[in-house]
Amino acid sequence: MAVTRETAAAVKEVEQYKYGFVTDIESDKAPKGLNEDIIRFISAKKNEPEWMLEYRLKAYRYWLTLSDEEPAWAKLHFPKINYQDSYYYAAPKREKLASLDEVDPKLLETYKKLGIPLLEQQMLAGVAVDAVFDSVSVATTYKKKLEEMGVIFSPISEAVHKHPELVKKYLGSVVPYSDNFYATLNAAVFTDGSFVYIPKGLRCPMELSTYFRINEKNTGQFERTLIIADEGSYVSYLEGCTAPQRDENQLHAAVVELIALDDAEIKYSTVQNWYPGDADGKGGIFNFVTKRGACRGKNSKIMWTQVETGSAITWKYPSCILQGDNSVGEFYSVAITNNRQQADTGTKMIHLGKGTRSKIISKGISAGHADNTYRGLVRIGAKADQARNYTQCDSLLIGDKCGAHTVPYIETRNPTAQTEHEATTSKIGDDQLFYCMQRGMTQEEAVSLIVNGFCKEVLQTLPMEFAVEAQKLVGISLEGSVG
Amino acid sequence: MALLEIKNLYASVAGKEILKGITLKLQPGEVHAIMGPNGTGKSTLSNVIAGRDGYEVTKGEVLLDGEDVLAMAADERARAGIFLAFQYPVEIPGVTTSAFLKTALNAKRRQEGKPEIDAMEFLKLVKAKTAQLGMPYDMIKRALNVGFSGGEKKRAEVLQMTMLEPRVAILDETDSGLDIDALRVVSEGVNSLRSPDRAFLVITHYQRLLDYIVPDHVHVLAHGRIVASGGKELALELEAEGYAKYLNAAA
Amino acid sequence: MKPSLITEHSFGEAYAKRLGVAPWRGNLPGPKVEEWRFTPLRSLAKIVFAPADDVDVDAVPRTVPVIPGAARLVLVNGAYRKELSDANLGKGVEFSQGKVAAKEGSSLIALNAAYAPESLALHVTGAAKKIIHIISIGAAGAAPTALHPRITVTAEAGAAVTLVESHVGLPGETYFSNPVASITVGEGATVRRYVSVDEDSEAFHLATSLVKVAGGGTYEAFHLGLGGALTRQEVRIALTGENASVRLNGAYALSGTSHHDFTTVMDHVMPSCASSQVFKGVVDGESHGVYQGRIHVARDAQKTDARQVHKALFLSRGPQIDCKPELEIYADDVQCAHGAATGEIDPNHMFYLEARGIDPEPARALLVEGFLADAVNEMSDEVVRDIFGVAIGTWLKRRAVGSHA
Repeated sequence: MAVTRETAAAVKEVEQYKYGFVTDIESDKAPKGLNEDIIRFISAKKNEPEWMLEYRLKAYRYWLTLSDEEPAWAKLHFPKINYQDSYYYAAPKREKLASLDEVDPKLLETYKKLGIPLLEQQMLAGVAVDAVFDSVSVATTYKKKLEEMGVIFSPISEAVHKHPELVKKYLGSVVPYSDNFYATLNAAVFTDGSFVYIPKGLRCPMELSTYFRINEKNTGQFERTLIIADEGSYVSYLEGCTAPQRDENQLHAAVVELIALDDAEIKYSTVQNWYPGDADGKGGIFNFVTKRGACRGKNSKIMWTQVETGSAITWKYPSCILQGDNSVGEFYSVAITNNRQQADTGTKMIHLGKGTRSKIISKGISAGHADNTYRGLVRIGAKADQARNYTQCDSLLIGDKCGAHTVPYIETRNPTAQTEHEATTSKIGDDQLFYCMQRGMTQEEAVSLIVNGFCKEVLQTLPMEFAVEAQKLVGISLEGSVG
Repeated sequence: MALLEIKNLYASVAGKEILKGITLKLQPGEVHAIMGPNGTGKSTLSNVIAGRDGYEVTKGEVLLDGEDVLAMAADERARAGIFLAFQYPVEIPGVTTSAFLKTALNAKRRQEGKPEIDAMEFLKLVKAKTAQLGMPYDMIKRALNVGFSGGEKKRAEVLQMTMLEPRVAILDETDSGLDIDALRVVSEGVNSLRSPDRAFLVITHYQRLLDYIVPDHVHVLAHGRIVASGGKELALELEAEGYAKYLNAAA
Repeated sequence: MKPSLITEHSFGEAYAKRLGVAPWRGNLPGPKVEEWRFTPLRSLAKIVFAPADDVDVDAVPRTVPVIPGAARLVLVNGAYRKELSDANLGKGVEFSQGKVAAKEGSSLIALNAAYAPESLALHVTGAAKKIIHIISIGAAGAAPTALHPRITVTAEAGAAVTLVESHVGLPGETYFSNPVASITVGEGATVRRYVSVDEDSEAFHLATSLVKVAGGGTYEAFHLGLGGALTRQEVRIALTGENASVRLNGAYALSGTSHHDFTTVMDHVMPSCASSQVFKGVVDGESHGVYQGRIHVARDAQKTDARQVHKALFLSRGPQIDCKPELEIYADDVQCAHGAATGEIDPNHMFYLEARGIDPEPARALLVEGFLADAVNEMSDEVVRDIFGVAIGTWLKRRAVGSHA
């Protein structure tokens, strides 16, 4: 602690003299832009130990060398981001609205369709709420129970202090600070996120969810999540919430690392519904996420399920490194783009161990003027005897102004491995639509039903309550796409 | 007032006139059969009533309880009580028959100002109806029409009709591709729905179906017009003598 | 990210000076260029190549099959050799030689354009009876040699022709063949083209085919890759008129440290066109097989039917296979699909044959031939199909001998 206080003091001095701006350490914001002082500020603000600050600085210095390495290979078009024009700590809080009357009626309409309770609607939309939010208290109750079982489920900033040995050992061990432009940036400036540790042999009896921590949110821009499943344990983790959040942050660059030891299993489900921008492509979130899991132990398993319906730009490849013999990686994805949205998403399955298996099921739906790309890598290493991969990528086009693309890379170095890849492209048939409408469904209901059928294999991997909302979301995100 | 009234209906497909002045009145409780050789406009008539895209009505009216059907979109017609049992039911991958039925049923209930059906209540209802139609209950767990045999598809159509309880049901060549056992099951389903406030329009090429679903009126459609009307005995006459005399007369 | 280029190579000033022409100012694509990520050209760039000397070649190598009744056009080091040819093409086809116009395009096309001697141009005006067999021979002198063959085929509306290309070389110093073929299929015309690349084991072969198919036209091609140190057959096809149809197929069989790359781009520009691709490969030793195939369907190309499949079979531990089948779709009313698979010979199949008393090696050969047959059988010309089948059989025998050694 003494060290960090000293650091804070040092930062203060440096700030005052060297750069001529004064930042009160007690204040909630750092000025715009990115430099070492800002990083020291973030670290000091979080009272971090020296090693954590060093990690951030190492990442930042490396990031500076990457100015030409901002990924350009994805099928995404967006204006160049000025990284000096962003806030990296506690971006000015969006103004609290006085009541729901001030909220975009379209957003409220969506909440209604999803059946979100009024109080929750206010939270999501950013209305000042005095009442205690139900799930917060629920979460606290759960947290106690989990602690008794030895589960650690806390903000990562807390874990840095309480479980430094675990954080030190695993942070950056799957996504190293030097991994890619966005991940490096995240390593330098991450604000907060979740930390989960499941002890040996425990089957975590409840789904862990960021939803429980909704009050602690506001960490969205550079989230960092680390989940460790110790030998023989199991955990299912849910990320995000199904309702679109009124969020004005332009850039999101999150990192998620999963580690599964011998015989452990992690199931990670995401429903991403950030603000997609308006029908003309104005506004919306740029979502650059690095998610990767390491199946380090034998017989371990990591399963990613994602339903991506939001964001203006999605750049995301939840991956599995299958190191342990007989480990299993699975990726189930629904990506919906409408209007001017662009998504370039997929997975990497890196087979290193013997008998490793992977399965990829990707469903891309493109409507309006949107572009939707599946990009995936299956790599079978020379030692991955008897490895198996099965990949199925299906695209659905709605209308003739959108695009659907499939870019798989399959690299095989082992003769005993078997890989299989299939991809198809289709549209919603006029006869299918008419059939549904002849049974009394509106066109939007019909589209939603048909698209949900198209996505079924993926949606059914979601936990029950999530699946129901995801189904509704599929319909909502495609409203106005036919006709 | 007639339940369904078709007045001097002209319709064309891709600029080609198919229906050339059809007039027909269905009173509540009645079963009308429309017979005729292939290519005379039978399916066009059912598609025009149901509101399929690509069919242009150039003249005439279709009224349901005096309401203008042609002004409604396809789904509005369905919710108003017009049901079309398709000649070729469409496959919808991934969508279970059960989910489909529930969505359709709720669309109707919404129209009637009723709340969505409770899940348990729905399952009970489906169980009862499938049992009534002698269908295996497990069928509703399969994707709609995907991999169904010809007979299963037609049975699924009748199941939907039974669930949705339409005012007017149009059966478009429901007998095509059915063996005799399937034909009996489907017909029994239809007959069980006959009621004093519901009307049927049975479109068929063969008289066979009418042995099971006995019509009150039979009409002969040739070259886009109704060229003869009569009682159920007309169907027998057609079976014996064929369509030749009507085709020649109309040409 | 800037695409990295290989700027150190031997095709600049010195090379041009020896030919007395203007130098090529381009560079070779580097590994960071997406289309070349699986096929590095570093080893090629390190070798100092010179233009071909006057090498004495007095006969076509015996390994080149004789196609009964076919006309023969022979190129040695890219230049047409009348005395080795039988240029009696029969009715419906005319043949001429012309200057190669420097054109835009990939760096390899530009390199070819800079140094190609003269193009061999075929003008097809009717239904050609004779198969036209083009034989390109690489023959290095005392130093590593580069050759830049250029072939142009123009099939007028309603015309039809069948072409066979054999790319071979003489043993000796290494050589680098950089052929470019431009093929135009007119309205309702049919071009069948069967290409066999069986270069010397030390040779480099980087071929580019540019094909345009007009409305109602048919292009059927088969590409076979058997030898060479590093071979790439890149085929770029544009379907530029309605109801055009393309069948592009290929097979490769690799041993030793051979590297073979099939790169295809199928560009559906207009509505109601169909394309299908079947590629199959077997890899042995420490060889490296690559298939990258892109299908692009333009916004207006409704009712497109485009399919593509690549399957590869490992015959040993050591080779690698890289595959990138790509769909880029901008129209909704289309049928597009691709498939890819890798694996080894099914032990059950082997056991079945062995149980019938067949020795392991012939059993394996039989299964490999069967595996490749899916692609080979796509050839509609039976005579050429048989000839290519024999070439594959020879490769298998060569391999069997090698594996016993």
